Amino acid sequence: MILLLILGAPLLLSISAFMVRSRVFGVLNSLGYFVVFCASVRLFRDSLVSGQVIDYPGLLRVDTLSAFFILVTAIVGFATALYSVGYIRKDIAAGVISEKKARLYGLFFNLFCLSMFFVPMLENLGFLWAAIEMTTLVSAFLVGFYNTKGSVEAAWKYIIICSVGIVLALLGTVLFSYAFSAAGGAKTLNWSDMAAAAGRMDRNIIKIAFIFVLVGYGTKAGLAPMHTWLPDAHSQAIAPASAMLSGVLLKTSLYAILRFGTIVINAVGFAYFGNLLMIFGLASLFISCAFILVQKDLKRMLAYSSIEHLGIITLGLSIGNAFALAGAFLHIFSHALAKSFMFFGAGQIVGSYHKHNMRSIRGVLTSVPFAGAMLLLGVFALTGLPPFSIFFSEIMIAIGAFSKGAYLAGSAMLLFLGVIFGAFIHNFSRMIFGLPPKEIQPQATPLSIKLSYLVLLIPICIAGIIVPWIKKDLLWIARSLF
Amino acid sequence: MRILALLGILSTAYLLVITKRMPALVRSFRYQSFFLFLATLLVAVDSGSLELYAVAALLFIFKVWVIPHYLFRIGREIKVKEDLGLFLNPQLSLLWSLGFTYLSWIFACKLIPGSSLGQQMVLATAFLTVITGLFLMMLRMSALAQVVGILVMENGLFLLAAAVSGGMPFFVEIAIFLDIFVSVIIMGFFLYRINKLFTHIDVNKLSSLRG
Repeated sequence: MILLLILGAPLLLSISAFMVRSRVFGVLNSLGYFVVFCASVRLFRDSLVSGQVIDYPGLLRVDTLSAFFILVTAIVGFATALYSVGYIRKDIAAGVISEKKARLYGLFFNLFCLSMFFVPMLENLGFLWAAIEMTTLVSAFLVGFYNTKGSVEAAWKYIIICSVGIVLALLGTVLFSYAFSAAGGAKTLNWSDMAAAAGRMDRNIIKIAFIFVLVGYGTKAGLAPMHTWLPDAHSQAIAPASAMLSGVLLKTSLYAILRFGTIVINAVGFAYFGNLLMIFGLASLFISCAFILVQKDLKRMLAYSSIEHLGIITLGLSIGNAFALAGAFLHIFSHALAKSFMFFGAGQIVGSYHKHNMRSIRGVLTSVPFAGAMLLLGVFALTGLPPFSIFFSEIMIAIGAFSKGAYLAGSAMLLFLGVIFGAFIHNFSRMIFGLPPKEIQPQATPLSIKLSYLVLLIPICIAGIIVPWIKKDLLWIARSLF
Repeated sequence: MRILALLGILSTAYLLVITKRMPALVRSFRYQSFFLFLATLLVAVDSGSLELYAVAALLFIFKVWVIPHYLFRIGREIKVKEDLGLFLNPQLSLLWSLGFTYLSWIFACKLIPGSSLGQQMVLATAFLTVITGLFLMMLRMSALAQVVGILVMENGLFLLAAAVSGGMPFFVEIAIFLDIFVSVIIMGFFLYRINKLFTHIDVNKLSSLRG
């Protein structure tokens, strides 16, 4: 029932995008996503407290891990729906897009959310694959939304590279299903059945299959060195879509990797899973750090920062003790919110300065005061200063690494984080402070956009403050997740 | 009979890497899909399973008929030069392809040791087809060749699934077919847009986004 609500709302909204005028639709959309958000909170609480698993065999299966990813998607979806109200209205007023195009935006935004809600609910790994491919296809329209040379090029690279990745993931899935049927399983691709039978599967085939799955879904999750589509797509997409892409799309792919991960861990032990993930995690951290240092483009820098944070999450998962896991899941949550927050700010800056180059943007605090203030907070939240929750998630992953004896990985992570912190503070302080160019008039921020910032900022702030008191609960939650 | 279908798929893989022009590439893809359809149909006749007949019908409708037809139409309508733009000439491509055949044979034998020769041959052909698709995507400049490359990779996967586990569950198969169909339509849409904005579909020249 609650699942029907979560899936039905985006579906109905995508239809209603063509029925009502875009001004009305914006409000309707925000209300719809508020309902979805409440439903997802309820779903997560229920499955966490009572351990309930909603199961429609062979089709849908929602356990705590699924509910967690649905919750993250719903929060960011709600904030983005709010943000879109002001953003689309401004674009229409400025004549950048037409009323018809605004309706198309409503349609694709909702289909995109719908496909992302589907991913964590599906039980069948084949359907899961199809749903993830759908997220790519729908969001490609949002990447190429402005129909400029750059955005169409980015959309093409996005769709091609991710499709290749996802074909490799399907290859891995087929090999998993072979290992399962060779171990006497029925002709099914349900992850729950596969995880249960994992002990009897052929170890070599599982090992090879997981490499394909990791490379395939890792492409979509933006892990280096398969990340090449990511900075293009995230920097060219329409701003609210950039927030969704960075905030949640990457994590839905990570969800798929986790589902296969449980099978692999049951079949060949944790070390194999952990080592592979650690390689990709450290590579992502290294490459993103190098590119952030030389970056001139605001949105590309944020995109590389997404690769960095995915690297941190992967590193946390690869360490795998209670502290690191809790840190990784807290990080999935906090990064989704903080990164969407930053993309909202970047969208407003680009909207009023009409350029991406950080060297020529000055005085955001004077020209777009609200966005400037929020970005200042956002930089601290994203780079991991207390009281924001990313500070604690990173510390927990570092503690996990050191207590497990992975000194090299832990210190490498802290080193990269330090360098990236410096680069971010350097770039953003130059943009936020100073005098703006004369031709730019100070702009007021619409109420809906202000609200969207708060929807994201308040949870990470509260989570950051209460973490030291709920440390035990957090460890327990992480255990029940993965 | 089945071995003939398999040989057909194998030889179309070589055909795909040596073609220089767009229509020939799409035609080779059509032949490959046809042999795949033939192989599926033969298995369906043997087993008498209704689901396999349905899958074979879907293969014929989508991959032999509708998708190549659509690709031909795109090729006609965007009116760019038909050259694929090869990074690697046909002779060398064929040589590489032969090398890949050997590697996929080794890989197939290592992956499922102790299985029948027939199964290993199907598996090796499937891997070769996947690699051929990747090869086309990386070493051809035309964006249309990339679309064909993805389709060829998926042909290979279909064969792989059929070889190792007797095919995917029926509804998964249908979901995958729909997905492929939708993705080809959307890629076609973007091809038109690229052609309109850039007046070419040469992916080698799509390089404004860097760093």
